[in-house]
Formats: sequence, structure tokens, C-alpha cells
Amino acid sequence: MDVFRVMTELRARYEEEGRYLPKETGLDLIQSTAQDGGGISARCRDVQVEDLWGLSTFFGYSTQTFVLAVNLLDRFLALMRVQPKHLSCVGLSCLHLAAQRGAPAAAGAAALSSRRELIRIGQRRFTASDLHRMEKIVAEKLHFTASAVTPLTFLHLYHQAVLGQTPSRRDTLSLEKLEAQLKACLCRMSFSKAKPSVLALALLRHEIQAVQSEDMLEMTYHMQRHLKIADAELQAWGERVERCLGDYASPRCSRPDHRKLLWVVSRRTALHLQKSKSCCPPDLPTIPEGWDPGHSEDSEDVSSGEESLSSSLDGDGGYFPLHLRRRC
Amino acid sequence: MSSAATTSPSVDKVDGFSRKSVRKAKQKRSQSSSQFRSQGKPIELTPLPLLKDVPAPEQPELFLKKLQQCCTVFDFMDTLSDLKMKEYKRSTLNELVDYVTVSRGYLTEQAYPDVVKMVSYNIFRTLPPSDSNEFDPEEDEPTLEASWPHLQLVYEFFIRFLESQEFQPSIAKKYIDQKFVLQLLELFDSEDPRERDYLKTVLHRIYGKFLGLRAFIRKQINNIFLRFVYETEHFNGVAELLEILGSIINGFALPLKAEHKQFLVKVLIPLHTVRSLSLFHAQLAYCIVQFLEKDPALTEPVIRGLLKFWPKTCSQKEVMFLGELEEILDVIEPTQFVKIQEPLFKQISRCVSSPHFQVAERALYYWNNEYIMSLIEENSSVILPIMFASLYRISKEHWNPAIVALVYNVLKAFMEMNSTLFDELTATYKSDRQREKKKEKEREELWKKLEDLELKRGLRSDGIIPT
Repeated sequence: MDVFRVMTELRARYEEEGRYLPKETGLDLIQSTAQDGGGISARCRDVQVEDLWGLSTFFGYSTQTFVLAVNLLDRFLALMRVQPKHLSCVGLSCLHLAAQRGAPAAAGAAALSSRRELIRIGQRRFTASDLHRMEKIVAEKLHFTASAVTPLTFLHLYHQAVLGQTPSRRDTLSLEKLEAQLKACLCRMSFSKAKPSVLALALLRHEIQAVQSEDMLEMTYHMQRHLKIADAELQAWGERVERCLGDYASPRCSRPDHRKLLWVVSRRTALHLQKSKSCCPPDLPTIPEGWDPGHSEDSEDVSSGEESLSSSLDGDGGYFPLHLRRRC
Repeated sequence: MSSAATTSPSVDKVDGFSRKSVRKAKQKRSQSSSQFRSQGKPIELTPLPLLKDVPAPEQPELFLKKLQQCCTVFDFMDTLSDLKMKEYKRSTLNELVDYVTVSRGYLTEQAYPDVVKMVSYNIFRTLPPSDSNEFDPEEDEPTLEASWPHLQLVYEFFIRFLESQEFQPSIAKKYIDQKFVLQLLELFDSEDPRERDYLKTVLHRIYGKFLGLRAFIRKQINNIFLRFVYETEHFNGVAELLEILGSIINGFALPLKAEHKQFLVKVLIPLHTVRSLSLFHAQLAYCIVQFLEKDPALTEPVIRGLLKFWPKTCSQKEVMFLGELEEILDVIEPTQFVKIQEPLFKQISRCVSSPHFQVAERALYYWNNEYIMSLIEENSSVILPIMFASLYRISKEHWNPAIVALVYNVLKAFMEMNSTLFDELTATYKSDRQREKKKEKEREELWKKLEDLELKRGLRSDGIIPT
């Protein structure tokens, strides 16, 4: 494990990351937009990213794809004024672009079917050609080629470095867990402003503090100094990360909103459901148990009738009513 | 037993089986009741004056005379015989129906036995055998009762009689006794749905008014159902009897008596196992749900019973079971839910991955039910691990795209409910799959090595490669 090589690469990425940051003024504008203020608000963006998270999990896309998609989305939204009704198209095109990495705005049959599938599962209302057009627009505006420097890039590098120094602790620091935590953070717009190198480091430190490894913590200091990341900045983002992950890990469940989801069932099942819902009310009036219908009954027959019959009928046998037995 | 030929040599066989519809091509005749046929002598009834034309004091006696006349039974199989007399009886019956509905003071003690006698003569008969011994209630037309023009009026009359304000059960119970009820119950096997509908009303009123007969009726219905489930699997009146039971169950006093709980467990649950469930499933489900609304503590035995009898090869039944289960879950108490959630969702997990798309669809649709969703949410840490593997697998492997789309809805709901657990399960699933793949690869390599070994050995010995 060539730590020197990792450090060099870290340095190189650090130089590049500025190119892939969303425009800060654009982000501010979104964050200051009110919920129904006619433009895209932070909440809109967060909902869209959560949706993309769902889709990428469902389709088995890698974390790389998802993180890249979010990066593209944030950069595009910060650059262009997008109307809320186009947001879902923009989101899906960012996801597809990221998934197609290396062949942006692809036009082949495979790409067409994957677009169609995304639209179908994502329950979107636009067509595959709409999606294709939007992909081309996004790719052009962002000068997107194949990849970007994202927090995930740094996370992988940091992880490599740390494990390189402390190979015995390989099992305690799970990259998957870190990736999941990163995804959770990215769902909140507040993290879009963070420099990828800083965010990744804050995340890593948070986890290392949780597993309480002094060696690894030492390593993170080393990398921080290597990249000349300011203490205050790291600290501030560290606090935000902690808050976010606290919510993510809490046992309290967030109530899903099913109204958003469309339940399309086949015609036969729909008929079946309709039938069962409508056939409930019976047309025979209830007969209360042991109820005297109002006529005067002979005392010997009926006062001992219902109640004593039933009370003597525990278990099998003894169904035969006493007074009738007498008659036979 | 009908011995009509079911196939003729000229019938085409499709796939080696003759088509059912072709088998039914022979002409259907309407069956008569198997009643004693008159010797050929025409029946003569002297026409009596109308009740409304006779002064009030004489009406009761005239009423009895008319009842006596209506005891004469006509042969409807012969459509041309006694037409005038048949019409006379029909109009007399009609008159009696109206009379019983509006009149007062006509019901003397003497009337009771005569009414019961007239009704008995008309309705109690041996039911005709089924046209074909493979009568499929769902597909085939039922054989209708030939003497319905009279029979309907007799039933109508009897119901109004029972419902009349002057009706006194204390007198009637001498004549409407266990023997009467037993014969009435046998008639429920009639193929004619109109007759069963009237019988249902008749029995319902009798059950309501004759407290002394109630236990007997319940016992006999028990017997019918048990015979149906365990011996014959043939009885046409199950749905109607269940409807009556529904109104009885609705009226149960709390706490429920042991007899009723026994009935639920020993009779109603096993009723789910018969092949013709679709004919009476709605009524059966209603009874079950009523029981559970009366006593929620019965939920666990009921659901465990359903799970025990879960259909393994009949998808149509599986869909019905899922529907019933959803109705039960609609009224379930959260404490009861927790008791059965594990076996329940294990079954649902199997249904969801069923290759039969209707079963999968019906099971997935549970997630559209708000109340069920709230229960799942509260217990997501238990339920999600059970459901996860099959949901994840079918999202990749199911042949039906509509199902895949529904699975997305469910997975999304779970993702939002409990993200941490979801991510953990995804990670474990992936690592499990990788481990499996690795094992498979190792196994294949082992086989390959063995093959190579065998080849080498063969080549070494005599240069001939063994096959």
C-alpha cells in the first residue's frame, strides 16, 4: 500500500475539486426560495434526491453513480433557473447520465430501454426522448465528460490511506457504512456547499471517533495537514455531519407518503378488489342471542331455554335441549 | 344418479380431453320435482268464493278450506296437464298471500297446523338429482325448479305468515318442530337459487322466533358443514346458511360461549379447504370478520388456521385468502398483530414472490392499505427483514414488469420507513449473494478439475478418451 501514491493523488484531486463545485450563489438562491415560491426550493431538491436514491438502490446502481448524479444535479440547478415542473426530468437525466458514465447522452437501443425502464419505475410522465434531450442539455451545460471529483472520490482515497497505515483494523472501518452515511448526507441540500475533501474527511472522522481508534485518528490529522484543510472548517462540517447522521440513525421512522406513489393493478385484480369492497352489507337483520322476541313464552320451556342451554354446552356433546328431550 | 352418456364418439378431443362445453351440447330439460305423479286422472278442485267476497266471521273457515285445497300438488313436468286447475291454485295462493299480509283476526289456533301442513305438502319433496354428476356451480346453469310458479307463492305465503303480527310462536312451536326444521335444511341443497333465497329468509325468521329451536338449528348446520367438508364436498346451500350465520354471529352476546368458539375453529376454518370456496367465500369471510370483531382474542387462532390451510396449488383460492386476510387485518388490534406478524409476513413474503402475477399483485397491494401500513411501520424492524430478501430478489427477477413496478412502491415505502435497517439489509443481502456466487464458482471449478483429472487418466491408460 503505497501511502505516498495515495497522498499524491489526494493532492491532485484537491487541486481539481473546485471545478466540480456547484456555484455558491446559485445554491444560495435555491436555499432562500420559499416552499411554494414559484421556484425550486431546498425541500424540492431534497425530495428529488431522495427519489433518485430510491431509484438507484432499486436498480442496483453503485454509490459512485448516485453521488455523481447528485453532483450533476446540484451543479445544474445552481447554474440554470429550472422550473419546478421540469425538476423530475432534470433529476432523472442526471441519474441516467451518471449511470451511463463514459457514454454520456447515449443513443443506442440499450440506453433507450434503460431510459424507458427508469421512467416507468419512477412513475414519471415524460417520454424517453424528453429524457434524452434533457441529458444532452445537462451534459452540454456542465461540460460533462465521464466523471467528476466528488466526496466519494476523497472518501475512497482517505479510506485506502487509513487502512494502509493500520491494516490490522481493516474490519472496523466499513467502507459500505461510510458510503451509506454519505448518501444520507447528500440528501440534504446544506451539504452541497461543502468542499468534497472536507465533507469526506468530516465523515471519516465521525466514524473513526465512533470506533475509537487513536491510530486512525492520527492518520486523519496527517491527511488534513497534507491538504491544508482549516481546523475551523473541518469542525463546522463535522458538527453538521453529526446532526445529520443522528437523524438518519434514529429509531424514529419517518412516515412515508403513499399519495405520491401510483398503484397500478391489473384489470382482473381491480375487479376483484371492487367486488370485495362492495359486497359487505348483509340483508338479513341481526338476531341477538338469547333475546325474547316479545311474545309471552311458557316459563318452563323458555326461561330455561337459551341461557341454560348454552351454558351447559361447553365442549362437544350436550347440544340436545333438555325440554325437547323430555318430549321425546 | 344420472346415467346420461357424457361423451359420444364423434366429439373432438382437444389435447386428449373432451371439451366440457361440447359435453353439455345435449338439450337440457327442466327437471321436475320427484313427486308422486298422479295416476293420470285429472285433478278436480271445486272453485271456492274469494275471501274478500265473504263476510268477516266466515273468513277463517274459508281460509282453512283454501289451505286444504292448496295441499293438492300438481305435476309440472307435464306442461299440458291440469292447466286450469294449476291456474286456480296459483290464484288461490296469491289470494292467501295477500290475505295473510293485511288481515287481522284470521289466525285461529286451528289455522296453525293447517298452514304448516299445506306448506309441508308443497315444499318437502325429494330434490331431483343433478343433471350431470359433475355439475360445476360456477360454470353451468343451475337446474331450475319446474313447479316454481306455485312454490314461490307457498314460500311467500309462509314468510308473511311467520312475520304476521298475530303470529304466536308458543302455538306454532307445536307444529314447527325439529322434524320440520330438519326437512327444511335438507331443501337448502336445491339447485334453484331462488328457492334457496326464500329458504334463507324462512330459516332466518324461524331462528329468530323460536328460541327453543336455536340450538338444534345450529347443531344441524354444524352437521351439514362437517359432512360437506369431510365427506361429500357437495352442498348447494352453503352460502345461504353462512348468511344466516352471519346475522346470528352478529348478535352473539359477550363473552362468547365456548360452543361458538368451537364452531369457529372446527367448522368455519376448515370450510376454507373445499374446492368450491369461491361460491361462498364472501359470506364466509364476513362471518370470520364478525367473530373477530366480537372477540379480538380469537385473531391468533384464526390467522394460524388460515395459514395452516393456505392453498398450495390453487392460485384463485390464494387470491381469495389474501383478500380475506386483508379484511381481517383491517380490523385487527395492534396487540394481536404483534403476536402473529412473523408467520403472517413469512407467508406474505412467499405470496409476493409467487410467479402467478395475480397472487403477487394482490399481496403487494397490502402496502396501499393505510391501516396495514401503520401497523407495518410500528413493527418495521421485525417485518422488514422477513420481506426484504424476496422483495429484492423479485425486483430483479420477476417476469412481469407491472409487478416489478409495484415492488418498487413497496421498497420505497420501506426505505423511507427505516433507512438504516434497509441499508443494513441491502449490505447483508449483497454480501450473502457474493458468498453464494463464490461457492458456486468454487464448486464449478472443482467439477472442472475432476473432469480434467478423469480425462488425463483416460489418456494415460490407453489413449481413448472415456465418454
